[in-house]
Amino acid sequence: MREFEYVRAGEVGQAVAMVTADPETSYLAGGTTQLDLMKDGVLAPDRLVDITRLPLGGVTRDGDVLRVGALASMEELAADPTVAERLPFLREALLMGASPQLRNMATIGGNLLQRTRCRYFRDPAVSACNKRRRGTGCAAVQEVARMHAILGASEHCIALHPSDMAVALVALDAVVHLLGAGGSRSVPIREFYLLPGDTPDVENVLRHGELITAVEVPLLPPGARSTYLKVRDRASYEFALTSAAVALRIDGGVIGEARVAMGGVGTVPWRATTTEQMLEGSPPSPEVFAAAAELAITDPYVVPGTAFKVELAKRTVARALRTAATQGGPR
Amino acid sequence: MGASVLRPDGALKVSGEFAYSSDLWLDGMLWGATLRSPHPSAWIRSIDIGPALAMPGVYAVLTHEDVPGEKFYGLENKDQPVLAIDQVRYQGEPVALVAADHPETARRAADAIVVTYGEREAVTDPRVALERRMLVRHQPVRVGSTFSADVVVTGEYEVGMQDQAFLGPESGLAVPAEDGGVDLYIATQWLHVDQGQVAPCLGLPPEKVRLTLAGVGGAFGAREDLSMQIHASMLALRTGKPVKMVYGREESFFGHVHRHPAWMRYEHGATLDGRLVYVKAEILLDGGAYTSSSPAVVGNAASLGVGPYEVDNVHIDAYGTFTNNPPCGAMRGFGAVQACYAYESQMDRLAAACGLTPVEIRIRNAVSQGSRLATGQVVDTPAPLAEMLRDLDAMPLPESVSRDLRDLPGGVGQTTHGDGVRRGVGYGVGIKNICFSEGFDDYSTARVRVELLGGEPHVLVHTAAAEVGQGLVIIQAQIARTELGIDHVTVAPADTQVGSSGSSSASRQSYVTGGAVKTACEAVRERIEKDGRPLEVILQDGPIEETREYRHRRTFPMDPVTGQGDSHTQLALCVHRAVVDVDVELGLVKVVELAAVQDVGKILNPLALEGQIHGGTAQGLGLALMEEIQVRDGKVLNPSFTDYLIPTILDMPPMQLKILENPDPNAPYGLRGAGEPPTLSSTPAIAAAVRNATGLPLSRVPIRPQDIALA
Ligand SMILES: Cc1cc2nc3c(=O)[nH]c(=O)nc-3n(C[C@H](O)[C@H](O)[C@H](O)COP(=O)(O)OP(=O)(O)OC[C@H]3O[C@@H](n4cnc5c(N)ncnc54)[C@H](O)[C@@H]3O)c2cc1C
Ligand code: SF4
Repeated sequence: MREFEYVRAGEVGQAVAMVTADPETSYLAGGTTQLDLMKDGVLAPDRLVDITRLPLGGVTRDGDVLRVGALASMEELAADPTVAERLPFLREALLMGASPQLRNMATIGGNLLQRTRCRYFRDPAVSACNKRRRGTGCAAVQEVARMHAILGASEHCIALHPSDMAVALVALDAVVHLLGAGGSRSVPIREFYLLPGDTPDVENVLRHGELITAVEVPLLPPGARSTYLKVRDRASYEFALTSAAVALRIDGGVIGEARVAMGGVGTVPWRATTTEQMLEGSPPSPEVFAAAAELAITDPYVVPGTAFKVELAKRTVARALRTAATQGGPR
Repeated sequence: MGASVLRPDGALKVSGEFAYSSDLWLDGMLWGATLRSPHPSAWIRSIDIGPALAMPGVYAVLTHEDVPGEKFYGLENKDQPVLAIDQVRYQGEPVALVAADHPETARRAADAIVVTYGEREAVTDPRVALERRMLVRHQPVRVGSTFSADVVVTGEYEVGMQDQAFLGPESGLAVPAEDGGVDLYIATQWLHVDQGQVAPCLGLPPEKVRLTLAGVGGAFGAREDLSMQIHASMLALRTGKPVKMVYGREESFFGHVHRHPAWMRYEHGATLDGRLVYVKAEILLDGGAYTSSSPAVVGNAASLGVGPYEVDNVHIDAYGTFTNNPPCGAMRGFGAVQACYAYESQMDRLAAACGLTPVEIRIRNAVSQGSRLATGQVVDTPAPLAEMLRDLDAMPLPESVSRDLRDLPGGVGQTTHGDGVRRGVGYGVGIKNICFSEGFDDYSTARVRVELLGGEPHVLVHTAAAEVGQGLVIIQAQIARTELGIDHVTVAPADTQVGSSGSSSASRQSYVTGGAVKTACEAVRERIEKDGRPLEVILQDGPIEETREYRHRRTFPMDPVTGQGDSHTQLALCVHRAVVDVDVELGLVKVVELAAVQDVGKILNPLALEGQIHGGTAQGLGLALMEEIQVRDGKVLNPSFTDYLIPTILDMPPMQLKILENPDPNAPYGLRGAGEPPTLSSTPAIAAAVRNATGLPLSRVPIRPQDIALA
């Protein structure tokens, strides 16, 4: 790890000004992504601005919207009573991520910005990584890939976005609030993340120095059924091979509204819109779920090590739909 | 003896207060770092240490030229360079060393060393190595001449490269001494074999290289070979300052040997009623770049390659290859694990072909006392395998599919609420040699001293035996208390100030060091009894001290052509039943229960013993379902605990245990080594259970979700 300067920000404006002014300065929240990458030599900022003492925490409800401060911890958000009651699958997605120790440190803002687990990205001894350095190639495409994306991928990068929470937030059409030197703006989460294209080093619309201040999450309608389902190589403490966040409103034997997003498959948290369209207006039957799940993966970009995800992801979505319809009721 | 006495290190470890070797500290010490090869195979054209030496805070930069004594070391064959000389043979091979006043400075200086490599062809496919006869050992076993039968089943099986995955990385502290020697505080499995390898490379007589065991954070075989012992000593001697070295997690994956990956082809012939006629097998184990303990591993694979079954005609070829893959060597189960997975898979195929249950086919062929193994060795102590299988079969099966998410495949990932879940049951049987085999002079030394402290008799037990987490310290204390009837017993820190205890491996320490402590205690007792006066009175004349060596029964080499010979001193059996629920759609396995029956001869400490069986079983579960070092073209793809998965407590089910005590009259108290056998049989039991649930052949472990869901 390179030496760096550490500054604890006293107030929000000062933090934003400091980071904006210097391309070699970064924010530090819970540090569970940032410090790992610094120790591995992937990131080497000159200065870290610790934002954990800024007044950006807390989870508050305003009508049918939940406002989550960027510094709320994963554990805190999972424990919120409104989340338990009206966003149960978000709670599940949070609790299926990482470990209790990590969830106590990790913040919501940091979670949205966590970096890929692509092992080549995390190993500076590997030179071919377009995400670390544009134009160097992609070791994952050339060598062995498994924990990689099949949707939104390109020959330039197949890195997964590993967040579980973001999958649920994408299904919920959350809105990310940003504060930059020039003022604040709000970005729907589906526009927040960018596909790699030929610039995989650019992962989102955040400009350097812009701070995530909060995330607004619309609550599910009362009576909605939802589930988050995560397939992984061991029972806990492991990233998803595939996952699905599903919320259904079923009125009179017909699916009135369907929200379906997938993890473990996309370079960004992936919303399965065609699946949703097919579901809406259909009866909630296993046959409908299976057919809708078939639509969840179109035009995958596969390499030998990731080909299995095409089928596994469809089964994951189908299972999640069945589970939501039968078990995911109000608790 | 026989009580669940708590071990002294237990509470400290749980509460984070135990001092591991990585916690060693001396004021003014330097930090060592290692520069390693990025290539699996290359010539070294030049090494320029100039840029590293020029960095402030750097005290020494050393290469092979600075090795003061012999340039090579090794457990069985001195073929491993202390530091690479003109070539590197595996990715991660140490090339140069740095000592600096800060660990980060040391690492940066190591990075600043300029090594020019000339890359060359790497041989990374062991089948190619076999064709080219790049062999560390070929051990055949030949007996009988009937190789046809009414029922024949064949199979090819593969076992991935498992890692010991201990939590305490390689670490230690070398302190230069006034006599020109070095004091080394180190986490290891065998102090004297380290001493015997370190001293010649330092150009020092053994007595000037004194080792003391530091807190060991797990071993499982990975600490049998040297890691940083010579390196830290070289740096300490060169700088005249204490030098500490601690590997990081990633470096640790390159810092020790792994379990040999295996490719195996088996053919079993049997009568229509399921009695074995013959077994043919080819077992290929990749030893990687250096010898390590591969010859002994190959020997075990050969001698135990048919399992604990009676069969008159055997044709086995076990090979260990040299390649440019990571070196492989000792790991819990030591050569018996891979073959066990294959022969047990075969026994299930045979059962199916003969229309028998897995339990029945095993009972029909089970060894018992008096059986002759394929090596000609007669099992001359109790081996009640049929009884163990019946006991196992009689244990109640767990309830049908549970409603608790934690008990379902995918666990709290709530992948299923019972949907798509199929149950399977499988059995596994394993046989493991205890203690060193094939003619090795295997012994341990114990010094026992009784003296008055504060007017009361105290016992001090001193051995060089390494407590690696198996509970050996408390066993030594229990033996001393039992033999001498004195309550106050202290077990001295293990060091080289007393004779060798041999390795904490091969499940041998309770047997051999236990035997040494027992014998030394008996010698002390004899003196007390001879004296006739009350102990307190005798001790007023001064302490009583006795040192004894203990050896187990002799063993003999295997014939190089036929494999015949009494190569093992003790054999241990363990049987497992696995019950799994498999989500066949998503490929997820929940091991619902593991039941085991093991014959340990004599239980010394029930709690410690159960811990060993649980732990060994869990390591076998890891191999069955997730643990594998992925190597491609000689390069390790997953050197981290993010990518190398080991089971968590949620993966490990509750166990039912039945422990038998059929004594081995040759061993102290009749005991039988217990740490390894469960590691053998749990893997095939779980694989069999998953096959039973899915109907898939599953001929490779670890079995991953895609192997089930998308087969
Ligand atoms: C072993 C391990 C296992 C894990 N398993 C999972 C898992 O299963 N599922 C899952 O979803 N996640 C998992 N994670 C990831 C974890 O959730 C993230 O590391 C965590 O959420 C990051 O939050 P943080 O506060 O620690 O971020 P930091 O590490 O502090 O920051 C991350 C990045 O975001 C930037 N940043 C942070 N806050 C802000 C802000 N408010 N505005 C602008 N920029 C900001 C930082 O500069 C940095 O670049 C795992 C992590 C580890 C280490
Ligand atoms: S997938 Fe992306 S992050 Fe991984 S090596 Fe390729 S470019 Fe780098």
